[in-house]
Amino acid sequence: MDNRELWTALGMDLEKHDDFLAPIPEVYTNLFLNRPNRPKAMGYFDMVVGDVHGIRVHELYAMKEAGAKVFSTFCVYVPEEIVVATGSASIGLCAGAQYTVSSGEKVLPRNLCPLIKSTMGFKLDRICPYFQISDWVIGETTCDGKKKAWEILNEHIPTYVMELPQKKEAKDARLWEEEVREFASFIERETKVDLTAENLAQGIQTINNKRQALQRLANLRKHNPAPIQGLDVLLINQLSFFDDPVRFTAQVNALCDELDERVKAEIGVAPADAPRILVTGTPQPLPAWKLHALIEQAGAVVVGEETCTGERYYKDVTESAENVSDMLANIAKRPLKVNCACFTPNQGRMEDITRMAETLKADAVIDFTLQFCQPYGVESYFVGKEMEKKKIPFLRLESDFSEEDQGQLLTRIEALIEMIRA
Amino acid sequence: MRQAGLDLGSVNTKLVVLNNGERIYSRVIPSRFDSVQAGITLLKTYVEEHGEKPDKLVVTGYGRVNFPEGRVITEITCQSRGCHAYFPDNAHILDLGGQDAKVIKKNAEGRVVQFIMNDKCAAGTGRFLDVILKGLDLTTEELDLAAEAKPMPINSMCTVFAESEVITLLAKGIPKPEVIAGLFKSTAKRLANFVESVGHPDDLIFTGGGAHYGLLVHFLEQELKAKIIIPSEPELTAALGAASLA
Ligand code: SF4
Ligand code: SF4
Repeated sequence: MDNRELWTALGMDLEKHDDFLAPIPEVYTNLFLNRPNRPKAMGYFDMVVGDVHGIRVHELYAMKEAGAKVFSTFCVYVPEEIVVATGSASIGLCAGAQYTVSSGEKVLPRNLCPLIKSTMGFKLDRICPYFQISDWVIGETTCDGKKKAWEILNEHIPTYVMELPQKKEAKDARLWEEEVREFASFIERETKVDLTAENLAQGIQTINNKRQALQRLANLRKHNPAPIQGLDVLLINQLSFFDDPVRFTAQVNALCDELDERVKAEIGVAPADAPRILVTGTPQPLPAWKLHALIEQAGAVVVGEETCTGERYYKDVTESAENVSDMLANIAKRPLKVNCACFTPNQGRMEDITRMAETLKADAVIDFTLQFCQPYGVESYFVGKEMEKKKIPFLRLESDFSEEDQGQLLTRIEALIEMIRA
Repeated sequence: MRQAGLDLGSVNTKLVVLNNGERIYSRVIPSRFDSVQAGITLLKTYVEEHGEKPDKLVVTGYGRVNFPEGRVITEITCQSRGCHAYFPDNAHILDLGGQDAKVIKKNAEGRVVQFIMNDKCAAGTGRFLDVILKGLDLTTEELDLAAEAKPMPINSMCTVFAESEVITLLAKGIPKPEVIAGLFKSTAKRLANFVESVGHPDDLIFTGGGAHYGLLVHFLEQELKAKIIIPSEPELTAALGAASLA
């Protein structure tokens, strides 16, 4: 089956889909392929993007033919270990395209986070093969916008919602563990595969390996000169949500081997005096590359992301256990160490940011919020205060996935760089 | 040595030339949607009048990235430097330009330590005031009266909504001077909050075309409970800073 046959089989709107994909190759060539000095091992990830709606979709299609299911997610709290244990696929969907925002606005208020509108638009427009191939969407109650949007999405695709607590007290942890156990039964029911100590241990191991590979990559970024551009790492973080986990892990490790060599040879992608930027805030799902691209275009290098398309996704792994019940308990524990702005209070996030700024030797922090994101938008106040206290230069930026504010964003970023260099 | 600073703004384009640190030339012309062209014209005029090109050039402002020559520095750094030349002891700057408003905090050396800029929309910028005031066809007399009038509260800060709010108030028979006073007062309130988010200033340097609105300055002083200091040519400070950085 070629791509077009596959897309037709998935009930996609081919015309809109062509329209959506048309500009991507040029954008990708300019932003990624034309950059000098990229590590060779980026070739794999370039290939994945090069056929982003092909290879992996065929794989998922074949998995489904063989009886597996596809579950799509939008948040780093959703335990993919459980899905993977049953031999089914967990994929994080794109939600970072301006193209689909206007369709999302057909059913959602305009004053809503662009990520949610983009997601909804992908489904309404039928231009995402991953959405089309999914049996279920797994939602969560992280913010009010998402929480209510799932109800609408459920009219178009079955949507299962996990209730995430808003505090991290003992009783909240109990609620979440309960949610994880229920989710496990739901997955067993849907996939008709029972969770056993063997397959669950395997699922945990597979995802732990992936997270550890990403940690290894993140860790390499503390070196100066920076061995890899932030934009490349962002891309890898974005792809980590939907590529095959085992193959992906091997490719990230291969890249890290190459970067180890670079570090030894003191080869960098930017001069040693290039300002080092830590990005914090809301996630930047595929294909949202604007912020990193602008920062690096301005001559700085992004050395870390305290976001869900970054550190929050991989900073913790799941501890192993002897039996299924204990494993599920451990699976529930990991996400509660993640400091998403949906929680209150969320002092842990300030510590994460400070720690990252120190270990990565960041010269400044850019706190980025998607327009209308209440949790991160409000929490930005504390980030600013904390940075002032720690005397770390700090810039707050708000934007969406559109292109037209690039000039204004660049002015602010350049001014920050001039401020650091002065 | 002759150092030139060119500020390519969205509304006006400005050129300042220094000779061994002394200002020998300054000029402002409208950008007319093409600040790059306006900048080229300004430089050409200067060369015609002075017979030679400046030795060094720094370009700043919104059109800076597309300008064919000169070193590029953002308007934030330039503004800070330009103001520092006049007021070395004051830390806070409010710049109210055509497209945007910014607040800058500088240190004792004139370097930027913190800044914020307004987001996408025109609310609370020079453009906001210009659009509405233009629509009102004001006479100087009415403006004078506004200084004495009781400000009528204006609630919308979106340019489009504020315009229709103003129209509604006038239709209701509220005297023009009261509406205008209200417009300045509500803008001042918004700007004051904007300034305060970078910390409370004892005194505030006010630059950009917006600093020419006397009534705005008056209300801003009231809102902030701070002294407002305005450079003699408030729209030239960024160009001046650019020239001194050249
Ligand atoms: S920001 Fe919060 S809600 Fe969004 S993906 Fe991350 S953890 Fe989930
Ligand atoms: S970015 Fe903010 S508003 Fe958007 S989904 Fe995440 S938490 Fe919700």
